[in-house]
Amino acid sequence: MDSTMDQTTLAYINMYAVLGALPTLCELSEQARTLLADKSCAVGFAVKGGPQATLRFANGACTFEEGAEHCDIKLPFSAPEKFNAMINGTGKPFPSKGFTKLSFLLGPFTKLTDLLSSYLKPAPGALDDENFFNVSTTLMIHVIAGAVAQIGNHDKVGRASAGYIVDGVICLRIVNGPSVGILAQNHVLSAIHTPPKQWMSYMEFSDIRMARALFDGKVNAVVCIGNGSVRVGGMVSQIDNVNRILDRVGRYLA
Amino acid sequence: MHEIYTHEKSREEFARAAKVIPSGVYGHLGPAEGCFIPVDAFPLFSSRAQGSYFWDVDGNRYIDYMCAYGPNVLGYNDPDVDAAAAAQRRLGDCTTSPSTKMIDFAELLVDTVKSADWAFFAKNGNDVTTMAVMAARAYTHRKKIVFFKGYYHGISPWTQKIDYSGVLEEEVWNNVYVDWNDFDQLAEAFEKNKGQIAALIAQPYMHGNFKDNELPLPDYWQKVRKLCTDNDVVLVIDDVRAGFRLDIAGSDHYFGFEADLICFCKALANGYNVSALCGKDFLKNTISGLSYTGSYWLSAVPFAAGIACIEKMKKLGMPELLIYKGTLVKNGLIAAAQKYGFDLHVSGVPSLFYLRIADDPTLMLHQEWIAECVRRGVFFTNHHNHFLNASLTDEDIAETIAVADEAFAAVRERHPR
Repeated sequence: MDSTMDQTTLAYINMYAVLGALPTLCELSEQARTLLADKSCAVGFAVKGGPQATLRFANGACTFEEGAEHCDIKLPFSAPEKFNAMINGTGKPFPSKGFTKLSFLLGPFTKLTDLLSSYLKPAPGALDDENFFNVSTTLMIHVIAGAVAQIGNHDKVGRASAGYIVDGVICLRIVNGPSVGILAQNHVLSAIHTPPKQWMSYMEFSDIRMARALFDGKVNAVVCIGNGSVRVGGMVSQIDNVNRILDRVGRYLA
Repeated sequence: MHEIYTHEKSREEFARAAKVIPSGVYGHLGPAEGCFIPVDAFPLFSSRAQGSYFWDVDGNRYIDYMCAYGPNVLGYNDPDVDAAAAAQRRLGDCTTSPSTKMIDFAELLVDTVKSADWAFFAKNGNDVTTMAVMAARAYTHRKKIVFFKGYYHGISPWTQKIDYSGVLEEEVWNNVYVDWNDFDQLAEAFEKNKGQIAALIAQPYMHGNFKDNELPLPDYWQKVRKLCTDNDVVLVIDDVRAGFRLDIAGSDHYFGFEADLICFCKALANGYNVSALCGKDFLKNTISGLSYTGSYWLSAVPFAAGIACIEKMKKLGMPELLIYKGTLVKNGLIAAAQKYGFDLHVSGVPSLFYLRIADDPTLMLHQEWIAECVRRGVFFTNHHNHFLNASLTDEDIAETIAVADEAFAAVRERHPR
């Protein structure tokens, strides 16, 4: 246990898990696709001592790419703290490239990230709408997978957990709902945002409401395993160690 | 064909438990840590036990190969142990002055365990592994403890890892981790931490979960013993799990070396709650200097039970008897597996055998087979070593093999060759 939150790890989470959820948002949300209709732009984020990635928008879709070299707008950050400040709304980025395309950044991109925030941190009552609930929870499982991977790769305690994870895919799936994976290769983790075809271990939630309750900390995972609403199987040592990392996801994403 | 068990009452009781007990059933007896996969194949609560069997709250009877994770070594409700305990209970148990049964028990252990010059009693394995580490630190005035990766030495913070909930980094940062059976790596760790290592703590062989159990390489323990002696490092054997199931004189004796400190619990008193730390004379004064006690540690009933248990184990020729029975089980299971084309690995010493179907690296095939065995009344567990007890009969073993055969057939039907 270590209660400290590392800014570099948080930057990787913000990049890969939070902004990394935008492609999924664009798949799930008509509103997101409408915001991006007829728009084409690539926004690069270059964090000194941290992650570098590009979000490429075209025809209502979004893709996430490693590196920030090939982009239309480049946003450099002198430290992970600066990038994290932008994500939590307390800091503003200053582009080093793409001054003529700032309207995309200030317009559709900002609206898109606001939309993402509304799903990830829902306003009171928002989850009463079934469609909103489903999109929000689906995004949540993707963000969790992304955050687990980044914490396992960068956080001191998370790396200890990842150090015990044997190679292979850990599948997190909701019955009649979304599935994601976490790939472990030589103790390096990466999120898989499409339903895995094969896995070494799985953690299956009986339905999306149960999964949500677990993600929100309203039910206990061990009790859920006991009553069968969460099923685990395969190389469950992977699950044990992912669960230890999951304990830290809440701290970083709170 | 065996009846397929269901567990409706267990489910009901679990729901009741979850309202008032964290996790419903916590720890190694619970469905999460116990790897009950799928959970509906397993009983969650027992109603009674006798000999080699326990009955769950749904009335299903199981041939029990976990033996309460080890304490049941003679058979549940062994009449000799229970009679000794009952006789002592009539005289007194938890009293202001301890009973001389404590002395009798210590004398018996000193005469039984080859490396023991004295015995100190507590309740659980964790009590005595913790005491061993404290004693080693007190004696050497050093901080670091060497562990073999895949270890289990209890639940105190020092035994856990940095990523475990509630464990501080400061509580584990004197832990040094090395691979089992790699002497060169161990020697390198000793050299790197020269003058800083208080103890090496180890089980007599590697019982790590999710992989085959691994016996020591030839001469491994002799080399480790010498390395510890040469570096003034206290060698602690955690015999909580394997104790008296490998060798009545201690598992260090089984592998031909002598520990400085050796920890016992599970098989010590056939389910009565007592643990023991035994050790060499040179550590006796250090032990005396530790502030270490507990409300029930000097209770006399478990001492009487422990005396009766050890005497009966000697009379029955344990652990050879358990190794013999375990070998019968092992050979029967392997033959049943081969009949259906499965590669069943049975590793470790047969009195503590560990099972793994090696055809599938995900272990899902293995989990399916274990579940089919449990559903038919043989309580195996997925990813922990098993435990034999002396009351297991030839008929029990034959029934076990028959159930295993049916379970393999069921799995093969779902996964045709």
